[in-house]
This record gives sequence, structure tokens and C-alpha cells, in this order.
Amino acid sequence: MPSGTKRAPSGWRLIIDSCRSRRVGLTVGVLLGLGWTAGKVSVGLLIKQAVDRGIEADDMAALRGWAVAIAGAAVVVGGFTGLRRYAAFREARWVEADLRERMFAHIQRLHFAYHDHAQTGQLMSRANTDLQQIQAFVVMIPLTISNAVTVLAVTVILLTIDPMLTLLALGSLPFSNVLATRFSRRLHPAVLGIQQESAELAAVVEETVAGVRVVKGFGAERVQAARLRVEADDVYARSMDAARVRAMFLPALELLPNLGLIATLGYGGHQVLANELTLGALVSFNVYVVMLIWPLRMLGMILAQAQRAAAAAERVHEVLETAPVIADSAADAPLPNEGPSGGRGEIRFEGVRFAYGAELPVVLDGLDLIVPAGQSVALVGATGSGKTTIARLIPRFYDVLTGRVIVDGIDVRDVRLSELRKAVGLVFEETFLFSDSIGANIAFADPDAPMDRIGRAAELAGAHEFIEVLPHGYDTAIGERGYSLSGGQRQRIAIARAILADPRILILDDATSSVDPTKEHEIRDALAEVMRDRTTIVIAHRPATIALADRVVLLSEGRIVADGTHVELLSSSPAYREVLASAEQRGAETQTDETELEGVG
Amino acid sequence: MWMQGGVDEADRLDVDAARNLLRRAFRMLRPYRRSMIGALCMVILWTTTTLAGPFLVRHGIDRGIKTGDVGALDAAVIGYIVVAVISYITYRFQVLLISRIGESFLRDVRVRVFDHLQRLSMPFYDREKAGVIVSRMTSDVDSMQELVQMGLLMFVSNGLLLVVSFVVLAVVSWKLLALSVICLPIVIVASIKFQRDSNTAYLDVRDGIGSTLSHLQEGIAGVRVVQAFGREDVESARFRKGSRRLFDAHMRSVKISAWYLPIIELSGLLATAIAVGVGGWWVHTGELTIGTVTFFVLTLSNLFEPVQQLSQLFNMVQSSGAALNKLFALLDTPVDVPERPGAVDLPERGDITVDAVDFAYVDGPPVLTDVSLQIPIGARIALVGPTGAGKSTLAKLIARLYDPTSGTVRYAGIDLRDATRRSLRQRVVVVPQEGFLFNGTILENVRLAREGATDADVLAALLAIGVSERFADLPDGLMTEVQERGSRFSAGEKQLVSLARAALADPAVLVLDEATSSLDPGTEVVVEQAMARLMEGRTVIVIAHRLSTAERADLVGVVADGQLLELGTHTELVAQGGRYADLFATWSGGIGGSELLPSP
Repeated sequence: MPSGTKRAPSGWRLIIDSCRSRRVGLTVGVLLGLGWTAGKVSVGLLIKQAVDRGIEADDMAALRGWAVAIAGAAVVVGGFTGLRRYAAFREARWVEADLRERMFAHIQRLHFAYHDHAQTGQLMSRANTDLQQIQAFVVMIPLTISNAVTVLAVTVILLTIDPMLTLLALGSLPFSNVLATRFSRRLHPAVLGIQQESAELAAVVEETVAGVRVVKGFGAERVQAARLRVEADDVYARSMDAARVRAMFLPALELLPNLGLIATLGYGGHQVLANELTLGALVSFNVYVVMLIWPLRMLGMILAQAQRAAAAAERVHEVLETAPVIADSAADAPLPNEGPSGGRGEIRFEGVRFAYGAELPVVLDGLDLIVPAGQSVALVGATGSGKTTIARLIPRFYDVLTGRVIVDGIDVRDVRLSELRKAVGLVFEETFLFSDSIGANIAFADPDAPMDRIGRAAELAGAHEFIEVLPHGYDTAIGERGYSLSGGQRQRIAIARAILADPRILILDDATSSVDPTKEHEIRDALAEVMRDRTTIVIAHRPATIALADRVVLLSEGRIVADGTHVELLSSSPAYREVLASAEQRGAETQTDETELEGVG
Repeated sequence: MWMQGGVDEADRLDVDAARNLLRRAFRMLRPYRRSMIGALCMVILWTTTTLAGPFLVRHGIDRGIKTGDVGALDAAVIGYIVVAVISYITYRFQVLLISRIGESFLRDVRVRVFDHLQRLSMPFYDREKAGVIVSRMTSDVDSMQELVQMGLLMFVSNGLLLVVSFVVLAVVSWKLLALSVICLPIVIVASIKFQRDSNTAYLDVRDGIGSTLSHLQEGIAGVRVVQAFGREDVESARFRKGSRRLFDAHMRSVKISAWYLPIIELSGLLATAIAVGVGGWWVHTGELTIGTVTFFVLTLSNLFEPVQQLSQLFNMVQSSGAALNKLFALLDTPVDVPERPGAVDLPERGDITVDAVDFAYVDGPPVLTDVSLQIPIGARIALVGPTGAGKSTLAKLIARLYDPTSGTVRYAGIDLRDATRRSLRQRVVVVPQEGFLFNGTILENVRLAREGATDADVLAALLAIGVSERFADLPDGLMTEVQERGSRFSAGEKQLVSLARAALADPAVLVLDEATSSLDPGTEVVVEQAMARLMEGRTVIVIAHRLSTAERADLVGVVADGQLLELGTHTELVAQGGRYADLFATWSGGIGGSELLPSP
């Protein structure tokens, strides 16, 4: 344990804190465990009495009494076995569930910049495997305490009967503790090795199935089969490594108590013959040696488990201690119902400098931009010109380095996050929908929204038509196990979701890129309606979409290079024409492919 | 406390199915006959030693201590030492042997199933969901792995221990045994109930874990949307609800064992009480020796613990059986596109004849009807038409990824169904639309197109299509590792690998599925050049998505509504004034920039 303590101090702190919050339950668990210990230990003593006072003394009344006492102890042991198990698991599972909920809630609050770097898989394994390790340790705490007390009590009892025999009978047992620790430590990496190789094998299977067209197309079946054989052999080899560890330790763990029993029979037998020991004591020694096998093994296992749990808790702690960078400020200013120049939804960027990280290049460099309330602005520019960044600074997904972002006269950093985000609706470039019904997805901002509002939002987003003809309409489940929608359909649902929230500022970040160009005009009309009384920022490539906006802002390397209406810029800005042309060219090829050829059928 | 298995009601096997399964599993185990016999001997010996210890204690007490015979006592002690040594050795070897048999069996299953998966053809992959196929090879085999690692050993040894203990105790004193195990029926009933309940509880927990994890995953993946809508607290509350459901499922499962384990423990100790009480009485009446009573006290646990372990293992055995059953069913899936006996190798060059071909996917509507087509050696044909009209299917039939429902596809006059699979794959190669990269180096990725190709062969193939420099520029050149399906590589680079594979395969006939998505302009040029060089001197069938491709082909086939509507050169078809001509007119007229104008 000491080495573990050194390596994972905050991990230990997390485990201790978690246990402290469950101290009542854990204490109950320990007490129940002690009840079990009392019953269990008394059995050996009662057997000794039954043999010595009953059978050997030929006193049948006494024998009956002791036998009934053993039966009584049986009831006690049985009852406490169940109770201590229940109590221990209850607390451990609670700690696990509680930590998982805390992690989830914390992850939900962590800033975008954190999620830009975090890997989903890693967070998942912390919230899954690591928490299980902690759970496995916590469950052992009350069980181990009662086991330790059992070992102690038995040792004391036996010492009072015959110290020398105790030494001989139990002398080998501490080694089973040592062996169990070693066993656990040696087995763990072997098991991890199997998991590693199994994962590699699974990867070969997955990619062969996913790439079956390539495999079949090139006749690479035998090549893949050979690759799998290698992986299967590796899994076999690692599994046999683990089997060898088991073969080394399990028989030894079995041998140690046998040594105690042999010593008991040999030395104890001679003691009985010499009238130094009663036969009942000899029998009880036998019973006790057998009884201590499991408690001692578990004591051994808990050391290794403790270290794994501490390392796991360290990783969990790392997530929990990461403070959300974007948080409510003390100012807590409300968003006024009306901006400084009348109307709702005025946006100002004042000298905004921004980079995604200290060492990363500056994306916006002293940007000044005023969007009056109710205006719609199209942000146009090449990849990396800062369009998306501007969109993400308004709902304060990131904080600026210098300068200010102001909504309706208030610095976004002074507004309560929940209020700001309610005021700003953003449709992301990459659509994310939840595994839920379509209706629930659209009503994400307001789960209690009545059906007609959902339908209205869907209509405006041009989604109503296709939703209606789905097997279950708005109740159709989507996502992993549900109906799969096309990219364009997903985007339209995302737009409906933003519309339903009825924000004062709506931001569409390339939100129609996957919508079939032939169908985009349907949305275009609807979008025009949505934009009418609302400040809207549109990031788009298709000229027709751009043309919807009152104003176009052309960006290049984080600066505004042209600003005006679409028609103005077309005639005055060569840079604007160039950006549009290259976007058009990229679009045109695919557009021709899909729509024109589609027309044949 | 080990991992428990569980089995869905639908997967539960009946007696006949279980018997068949066992028979078949034993057939697969035949190569390990000798290990199995060895393992069985070890298990029997080990079980015997487990009982021999207490038996020697009995002997030592009755013959040594009670009669004052030091020699008999010492003999018992020496005997016990020998028994302990034998126990150690036999335990060690039984772990090794059973693991070796089990792990070998699993390896064989993996290899066999995968080999069979490789033999199964495209129709199978169309029918089955990829996830299900993968889970056969992963979670199903893994669920057997658990059994093999510890369960099998425990199952065999506990079963044997139970039987042997029963017999030995009965021989020593059947009367005392009968009285001691008075609780055994309760234990058995409780065990059966436990086994059923814990199966249900296990499935509940499994579902709970599954939904909690997918909720978690969604919460992480969708965190930006959650924050954008300010729904952090609502989502956390929703997660908490699911998490509590999982907690409850865990507690239900614990409750079941918290009821069951006490019954086992209670029964075992009650049996001890009876053995001491009644046995003691019979010592008094002279019917039994005190050593026998001791023997019972030390051995009775051998009856109750195995029952408990077996009932816990039973779920694991059942779920493994269900898994194995699914795997055998997969092995029994017939190969849709088999190789006929007496199949011939295809000659190096040959023309292609599609003769009155009809085709429908299994249980699907007809996709192609009465399509006939002749492609001379070295000709380049572009198939155009709307998505789903059948042009890809026609191309796939030419590569025999499917067999036609009626009619024939011939290469050099040989029906493809009479050709060896190997020669067919040498002569006809399909280059899929998107370059798919496997884990491994770029070199290995190219090499899979020809078994046994050397590094030099791969290099030559890259040179032949003029892309060797492009790959030399990668950080580790051709030895650059592909990770996560090549997420670090651009679509264009992936396509180049795909083309390099085709070049290495060096087929006479090339089936190209043109990419619909466009590439960055730099790579686009390289890909087009590589493709041009690859097509040189080969018969080429292109599933065209761009009319410019069709324009350059020797022949154009318009496929629509499952029929070959028009066939001829580009010029002929344009002159003919049919569908192709219409199409071409819209395309060449529409490519201009009318979209650049603001919409009204």
C-alpha cells in the first residue's frame, strides 16, 4: 500500500472522501461483518466443546446442548453472511454510481476547449473500467475488516489452547496472504495482455467486415485469414501466460493450508497422545485452518486491488478536478430586453483577439464587428478565416484573449451562461442528434413544448414533410438503434431544434451543407421567415444561401476584408468573387453528378 | 464473485440442441484427445487428494490417537504429506491442461469462423448487419473465454468433487450422510431458483450497464449541443435517473445472492451440527468412531460448496453454449458463391459477355432484367444512370461478387461460375469507390491485393501508376502506420492506395467505382493520372458519376430501371438523341455559373 499511496495521493483522497460520505453504511457493513465473525469463530470453539465435553466425556446431554449451539451459530453465520454482503455491495455500488453521476455532470459543464482535446474513449474508460476498480475495492473494505478480525480472533483463541501448535498450524498461512498478493499482481498484467490481444483481434475482424468490399474486390480473403491467425495465436499465447500464472499460484495457495493441517495432525496428534491437548482442540484446529483459507486470501488480494483502485481513482480525480474555464461570473448581469440602440439581439465585437490555445496561432486579431439587432449577416471566407470562431464566441463557448464580445450592451462574460445560451441559438456544422424520438430532439430546448410548436419548428426548417411520412412520424426513434436519416435530414432537424428555442440570435454554421441542393430552396424560403425579426449569423458557401442575408462580411485570416450586401460585394470585391467561385466549383461537380444523373430515372 | 454469464430466453438451448452442440464440440476437440485424457486423470487424482486429507486425519485419530499407536499416527502424517504433494502437482497440471485444451479450442473456433466468414460472399454481407457478424467473433467468443479461463476447471472439478464426496461419505457412513444432508433438497431447490433469478438479474444489469454507457457516450459526444442549449443540468438529472436504475439492478442482483448464500452456509453448518450431535451419539453407542465424525466435519463442506459453485457456473455454461450454438450456425451458413468442382483457371486475356442476365438480391425486387452486353478485350466502358438503377450491380456481376439469377456472365467464353475463385480474382479486380485502409503499414495495405507479393513488387506497382513519390513523402514512407482506419490520411491518399492495390493485382479486367465526392485539387490530379495509367491496356468497366468520364470512354452504357437502355460510343449516343443525349445537354449547359447570381 505505501507505494500506492506515494503514486496516487489524490486518488486515495478521492476514495477516502467517497467512503467518508458513506461512513454510516460502511460502519453498518463492518458491524454486520463482525457479527459474521463472531458466529464463524464460535463454530470452531463449539465443535471443540462438543467433542471434549460431549463425545469424549460421554455426556450425551452436554453433546445435545453443544450440537444445538452449533446449529444456533449456523443461523447467526447464515444471517450475517447475507447481510454483510448486501451492505458491502450497497455501499460500493453507491460510491460507483455517485462518482459516475458526478463525472457526467462535471463533463457536461467542462468548456469546449477541454472537449476539443479530450478523447471520448478515454473519458468512457474512466467512467467505466476505472470506477469498477474503485467499486471492487470499496466492496472489499467491510468484508476485509471482518476477515481481518476473524484471523485475529482465531489466532488468539488457538494461542490460548496451544501456542506451539498454533505456530505450526497457522505458520504457513501468512504466506497465502503474500502469495495471493503476488498472484493478483502477476495475473493482472496477464489479463490486460489478453484484453489487449483480444482488442487487436477484434480490430482485424471489424475492419475486415467493414472493408469487405475491398477484401472481396481484391480477393484478399486469404491474406486477412492469415492476419487473423496471427492474432488468434497471440490471444492463445497471452491466455496461456495467464494460465501459467494460475498454474503457479493456485496449487501453492492450496498447498499452504494442507501444510497447516499436516502439522496439526502430526504435532497435535502427538500432543493428544501425551495428554497435552484434547481431541476436541485438535479437531477445532483442523476446522480453524480450513476456515482461515479464504479470509487470508482476500487479505492478500485487497492490497493489489487497493493499488489498482488508487491508480483508477487518480484518473477519475483528474477529470473531476479540471475546473470549467467558462463559468458564471460574479457580475451576473441580466440580458436587457432591449439593446442600447433598440431591438433585441445586437452583437458587438470590440478588438477581439482569439486563439484556441496559448501555443496555437491567433485566429482573430483585433476584430471589430457590429451587428445591429434584427440584421442577418452572412460570414464568408476560406477555411480557417475565422467564421466558425466568431460564431462560437457569441454564445461564449470560448473566452476571448483580449477585447470584448457584447450582446445587447452586456459583455457576454458578465451574463449568466444559462441565460446567454438561451438567447443565442447555434446550429453546428456537424449535426449531433440524440438517440431519442425526432420530436424529443426538436424539443430539446424545451421538452414540454406542445406538439404544434414542434411541428411549426419542423415546418420552418423544411423537415416536416419527410418526418410526416416516417413510420412513426415525430415519434420515430433515431440514433444508434433507430431510424437512420440522411445528412441533410439530420441538419434540418437540428435547424428545427434551434428554431424551437426561439433565440434572439440565431447562428447557422454551414447548417445546410448536407442538404440536397435541389431541396435547399425549400428551406431557403422558410429560413428567410425565421430570419425576419431576428439577428442571424449565417455561415454558408452556396451563393443562394448567402444571398438571403441583409449583409455579407468577407473574412480572411481573422480580419474583415469586405463588408456590404451580396450584390455590392459581387461587383466591388474580386476577393469575394474568387471565394464564391471556388466554393461553386467544388459544389458544381458533385451537384451535377447527383441531381442531373438522378434525373434519368 | 467472478463474472457471471447469463443467457436470453430466446437463446436458451433445449436438451436436443445441447446434445448436438456437445457432440459437435467434442468432434472439434478430437485433436486434443490425449490432453483431455490427461486432464481428466489429473482432475480425478486431484479430487481424490482433496478427500484423502481428511480421510487420513480420520485414520490418524482412530488408529493412532485413540489406540495410542504412534506409528499409525506418523504413517497418517507421512501419507498426508504425500497427498499434499500429489495435490499440488495434479492441480498444477490440471490448470495447464484444461487451459491448453480450452484456449486451443477457442483459437480453432476463431480461425474456423473467420475462415468461413472469408468464404462467404457478398450476399451474406448484405443480409447480415456488420455489428452482428463482428459480435460473433468478439463478444460470443469472449463469453466462452470466461468459461475456459476458470469456469471449465471449476465446473469439472466441482462436479467431480461433489460426486466423489458423496460416494466416499456414503461408504464411510451412509446413515450419518443421510441425516447430515437433510437440508440438501432445500439447497438444491434454492440453487435452481438462484440460478434462474440470477440469470434474469444478470441480464438486467447487463442492459443497465449498456444503456448507462451509451448514455454516457452520448453525453460526451453531444456535450456541445447540450451546452449550446444550456441543458447541462437537465441532462445530468436524466443521467442520474438511468444511473439509479443501474444501481437498483445491481442491488436486485446482490439481494438474490444475499438470500442464497446464507442458505448454503446455514445448511453446511447445520450439517456439521447434525454430524457432531448425531455422530457423537453413535460414537457413544459404538456405531461410529470419533475419527469418522471428524472426517464428516471436515468433508461435509465438499457437498455444499460445489452445489453453490455449480449453480453460479451454470449461467456461464449456458451463455457459452448459446454463444457456441450461434457460432456453429454461422459455420453452417452455406457459401452463396461457391466454387464448382472441376473449375478451370481463367486465361490471361479474354473478352466479357453478359448474356441475358436477370438479377435480384435475396428477397428483393428484380434489379436487372435481360441485360446483354459484350465488352471486347481492352475496351473501356462507362456505365451511367441514376443511383439504384443497377449499374453497380451489373459491375458486381461481372466480378462475380454475386451470381446472376438467370443468364450467364462469361470471360473468354468461360462461365464465371466454372472458374476458380483464385484465377477470377487475379483476372477481375474491383476497385471500390472509397479507399479503405486496414491497420498496418501502407506497404501491407497495398500488398493485400496479391498474396506473396514482395516489397519490390509493391514498389513496381506504385511506380507503374506514378504514385511512388507521393508515398515516399509520408513520415515513414511506405512503412507509415495506418491507425484508426487511416483517419490521418486524406480521401485522395486512400484512393491512391486503392489504385496501387489494383496495379499490384495486375488484372486483365478492372471494375472501377468512381468516387462521388470530390478531392482537394492537388490530389485530384494525381489520382486521375494514376487512374489513367492503371487503365492502360486493360478492359475497364467504370461506374461513372461524371459525364466527363463517360465522354472519354470507348463505350457508354445507360442503365436505368434495371435495363440496359442505350449502348454505344459517346458520339453515337449523343447523335441518337435519347436519354444520354438529354443528360449530356443539361450537363454541358448547366455547368456554368448561373448560381452565382443572387436568387430572386
